[in-house]
Order: sequence, then C-alpha cells, then structure tokens
Amino acid sequence: MLTTRREFFRSCGGAGCALAADGLVGGSLLVPRPALAKSAPRAYPARFWKSLPQRAVECELCPRHCQVEDRERGFCGVRENRDGSYYSLVWGQPCAVHVDPIEKKPLFHFLPGSRAFSLATAGCNLECKCCQNWDISQAKPEDVDFQLMPPEEVVRLARDYDACVTFTYSEPIVFLEYCIDTARVARQAGLRSTMVTGGSGEVAPMKEVLALLDAVKVDLKGFTDDYYRRMCKGKLEPVLKTLEVIRKSGTWLELVHLCIPGQNDSEAEIRAMCRWVKEHLGADVPVHFTRFHPEFQMKNVAPTPNATLARCRDIGMAEGLHFVYTGNVPGLAGEDTLCPRCGKTVVARRGFELLAMHIKNRACEFCGAEIPGVWS
Amino acid sequence: MAARKSALSHSRPRVVVVRSAKVLIRGYDADAGVLRAMLHAGLRALSGEAEPVRALAQYVRPNERVGLKVNGLAGRNAATHVELVDAVSDLLTALGVEGRRQVAFDRFTRDLTAAHIVDRAQRGGYRAVGNDDAGHDDELVQMPSSASRLASVLTRQVDGVLNLPVLKQHMLAGMTGALKNNFGCIHNPSKMHVDHCDPYVGEVNAVPAIRDKQRLVVMDALRPVLQNGPSYQPGLAEPANALLLATDPVAIDTVALALLEDLRAKRDLPPLASVGLTPTYLASAARMGLGVADRADIEVIEVEV
Repeated sequence: MLTTRREFFRSCGGAGCALAADGLVGGSLLVPRPALAKSAPRAYPARFWKSLPQRAVECELCPRHCQVEDRERGFCGVRENRDGSYYSLVWGQPCAVHVDPIEKKPLFHFLPGSRAFSLATAGCNLECKCCQNWDISQAKPEDVDFQLMPPEEVVRLARDYDACVTFTYSEPIVFLEYCIDTARVARQAGLRSTMVTGGSGEVAPMKEVLALLDAVKVDLKGFTDDYYRRMCKGKLEPVLKTLEVIRKSGTWLELVHLCIPGQNDSEAEIRAMCRWVKEHLGADVPVHFTRFHPEFQMKNVAPTPNATLARCRDIGMAEGLHFVYTGNVPGLAGEDTLCPRCGKTVVARRGFELLAMHIKNRACEFCGAEIPGVWS
Repeated sequence: MAARKSALSHSRPRVVVVRSAKVLIRGYDADAGVLRAMLHAGLRALSGEAEPVRALAQYVRPNERVGLKVNGLAGRNAATHVELVDAVSDLLTALGVEGRRQVAFDRFTRDLTAAHIVDRAQRGGYRAVGNDDAGHDDELVQMPSSASRLASVLTRQVDGVLNLPVLKQHMLAGMTGALKNNFGCIHNPSKMHVDHCDPYVGEVNAVPAIRDKQRLVVMDALRPVLQNGPSYQPGLAEPANALLLATDPVAIDTVALALLEDLRAKRDLPPLASVGLTPTYLASAARMGLGVADRADIEVIEVEV
C-alpha cells in the first residue's frame, strides 16, 4: 500500500509502475516504461547562458541569473558548469511520466476531456514551502530515478495514448531545452504541447518555447513580492512579466492561485491580483483558486476552507473576470464553465471528469456567445 | 561523557593558528611530515594535552565511528589536502578508531576522486564516499527558512564528525570555511545560496544532527583561494601556510575571515565588505547560539612549527 507521496513516486519509477500500467492512480494513468536505474545523469549542452571570466558562467534562463563557478550548479540544481561550459543534467531524462486528464493541470479551456502525456525532470528554480511535488522539484538529478526518453520517444508515447504533451509537476523552465526540442518534434507530428509552470523565466527563452506551445498554465502563487521572497525564494515581478509575454504570444493561458490560509488569501491581495489580471491580461483569462493541502514545509497549516475558495471566486467575478474557478475540491461550486453572457453552464465538470459540453464552434450552444479557449 | 568538549567548554572559545613556512612544496602540495607536525602542535595547543592522541581523545572516543567532512569541490588544487586527511586518520587509528570506522565524505564521489582522497583512503585503510553514492535520508529536516534531507553518512554511519574545511573566498557567501562546509551534509545546497547564504548557513549548522555531531574543526588554510572562489583560480590562491583548529565553528570562521582579508589586502584586493560580500551569516550563526563571532571574545593562540 502506498503511504507517502515519496513512495508513490518511487513506485512510478520502479517495478510497481509496470504492475499498475493500465490502472488509474489519482486520476492519472501510469505509463509503463523500461526498468529504471539510478545512475549518473547525462550532460547535455545547455543553452541560454554566457561565459564569465575564470571559467564561470552566467545562466540566462531565469531571472536569478545564477553566476556559476566551475563544477558548481545553479539554484535549480540541474544545470552544471563543467570547465566553463554549461550543461543540462536532465535533458531527455524525466523522473515522472504519467497520462493525466487535462483538467488535472488544470486547463479548463483547452480540449476538455482530453489527455495530457505529462512528464517532469528533477529540479526547480523556486523553493515553495507548500510544494506538492518537492520529492522531485527540490531534488538533484542524482536523487531520483529517471529514464532516458528523447523527444521522439515522448511524442511516440503521447500519440499512443492519444494525448497532448505536457511539461509539468516540477518546473519545466529548468529543463527548457528538453521542452523546446520535444515540443518541436510534437508539432511536426501534429501533436499539441502544453506547459505547467511557475512562470519565473527570462523573456527570450520563454518566447522561444511559447512559439511551440499551445497552452500554458501558470501558478501565480501570490500577489506580493514579500510572499514570493518569503514563501518561494523568488520574486513576483518576473512572473508578471512572463504572464504578459504569454498573453501577447497568443498561446492559451490559464492561471492558478493556490490559496494558503493566512498567507496569500486576504481580500485585498486577491482583489489586487484579479484587477491586475483583468487590466494586463484581460477578463477572458481563466483563474483557478485551488485548495491548499499541507505538504513539504507547511505541514502545520490547515487545508484551505471551502468558504475561502468561494470568497476568492466571488471577488474574481466581482472584479469582472469572466471565468473564475475553484479547484481541488470536487463537487464544490465553481468547477463549471458558465457562459459570460447567458450564464448557463457550457462545460460541466466534477473533479477531473467532464460531465457535459455545450460549446460548438467556439460558441455557447444556448446564446451563441463566443467562449474563449481551444476547444477542438 | 569523557571524550567530548563542547564549543562552550572554554570561557572564551579558543582558536589555534598553526603556521609553518615549510609546509608547502613548491607552493602547492603539502609536505606530509610538516603538516602532521602542525596538526599535532595545534591539537596540543587547543586541548592543553601534551600528547596528540590524548588531545584528540578529548573530542573523539575510541569506540566511535567518525566522519571526516572534507571539501573536495574545487579539485586537487583547492580541496582539503589529502596529507591532512591522512594525518587525521592516522591519529584516529592511534586512538583506537580503526580505518573501517572512519569515513571521509562530501557531496560527490567524483570530487573526492579528483581531490585524490578516494585513492588515498584505499591505501590508508579508511573509507571515502560521496553523498551521491551513499544517499540522503528520506525524511525532511525542517529549518525556519528551508528544508533539507541530510546525508546518510552523517545520520547513519558516524557518531561524530571532524570538520576539515578549506578556507576560500566565495563569490556568493563572501567566504567559505567551517560553517559553510556543512552545506555538503544536505541534499539541496544550491537552494541555500540566495541572500549570501544567510540565514541558511546558520540554520543548516543548527540542525541537531550537524551541530551535535561536530566535535572539532581543522581548517586547511595552507593555500586559500582569495578571489572568484569557491573554485580554484590559478594566480588567485595565496600560500598562507596555516592550519586552524577550534571546536567553535563560528569563532574559527571569524578568525579565518580576518586571515583571508589580510591576504587579500596584500594582493591589493578590496575588503569583502566593500564589494558587498560581507559574510553576514557569521553574525546570524552567532545569534543562533552556534558560537562567537566577536573577535575580541575569541582567544587566539598562534603556534609556529
């Protein structure tokens, strides 16, 4: 019996994976894979960096701009300086591979009811105290079981599962070269690609991957710089910049705000965030307020009350956002997509399950209003 | 508890600085005999015992398993000198701690190999292993600002640790010495380098398994890296011919910082504070009760060999 998330991930990486290959666990289909072995990660030439004197390098992938001495790694722990050249230690080496419902990402306006071939490597450029996937996001490549899965293999498997490719779970920005290469192969094969990210990336690399992505879900973790510094070892401003870049790129965008009691759920913060979203991204960008579950460094904080999620949703709608959802509480009001003109339910859901769909030709079947998203 | 002296056993923490102009051969490698004599002299001065094995017995008991937390990150030219590791191991053996109960460890086996410590351990009869091979505990240790998994060598394979750091300037932390060397006991040191590693250095050293197992610090300051550390930089490492010993990791780092600044000044390098690299984690560590960061409250004993 699986008792911890760590054991769950381990089972996915070992023999247990094959045994559970055809079963759904936590809404996910575990992908059968060849036997995994813990071995030294392979080094793949990284992009998005520049040389500094004395064989040091500066990473230009994310706003941290880590200056990395020879033999050292950046904050993410998965990019290493070797004799003055920078390498990714996770390219083609995912440690988590699952087939999820697209609603689990969550992406609610992107092919409802479809599947996401989801993969992640070790590493993250943030350290969120509430991380649900800290086993892999806060790990070095050496700490996890991984397999070799080049882009062509990812695309082959995704096609076999009739799924889009989704980079998720940890932080795809730290394995961006792998994302870019895989999304390119996927597009050539006629498959779509999506990403779930914290959004803390530099503009140039983000633009490059966005050109190959069809949808992005960004975790907007808080709306104050203090929150990002205190809870995530990050900054707010680069995330906001990324959101604007995504919106301008035309790639479909949805936001998630994990509501942590007493940390980022004040009315003032939620209201300010919703106003910013409407002003800078537009009222049609879906915002999901999701329930926090005690994890990682926040096991002493209670789960988010349902009333908080409902209040956040009310604030979002009062501020004029068209699509505001609640999440991580199946059955709670706020899972359905309502037509912003007639108010009728155009997509009905419960948890990750699609119950009904009333959108035809990108429009509400009841009143004909356009419903933004990627529906076919 | 006969064997162990805590950091607070002296009214003022004592730091011994042992020097010998003969310790470096052509300015690089250590003369094993001279270094051994320096170690013995330092232990005598630190403990007040006349004989080095009896001196070591104040910190380690013969029936214990002992970890040697070396620093192998920067390769042969800026790692803990293997001659020092050998000399400490020999003393432990003389005390009754057989080689199989001694283990030199750091983050990666490859670094220990590059520093020649794996090879020397095989010949010397002690063990050497990287955390990448030995693993980390599954359990998370919670700290006020972060969380980590501890090296299994530290938590499961040893009763006490002798910390053998290398003195270096560090382009993110300001300097690296005794306290920062313990970043090699956690699985995620890269996450601890923001904000000049402060308060992370202190918090990591306050973890009971690290704080309570550390018995003694013997700092390799034979040839500190003065600039662009912690990697080795040709032309930016300067012979200081010194070994520092203490039980108080904050005090030894405080004395080492002054030594580093002196060396930098002689090379016309600016004070660390003037380039925004004050190791603020020292004061934080002192506030956490890990030791003394006020130079005036530290007893410094200079010894020439």
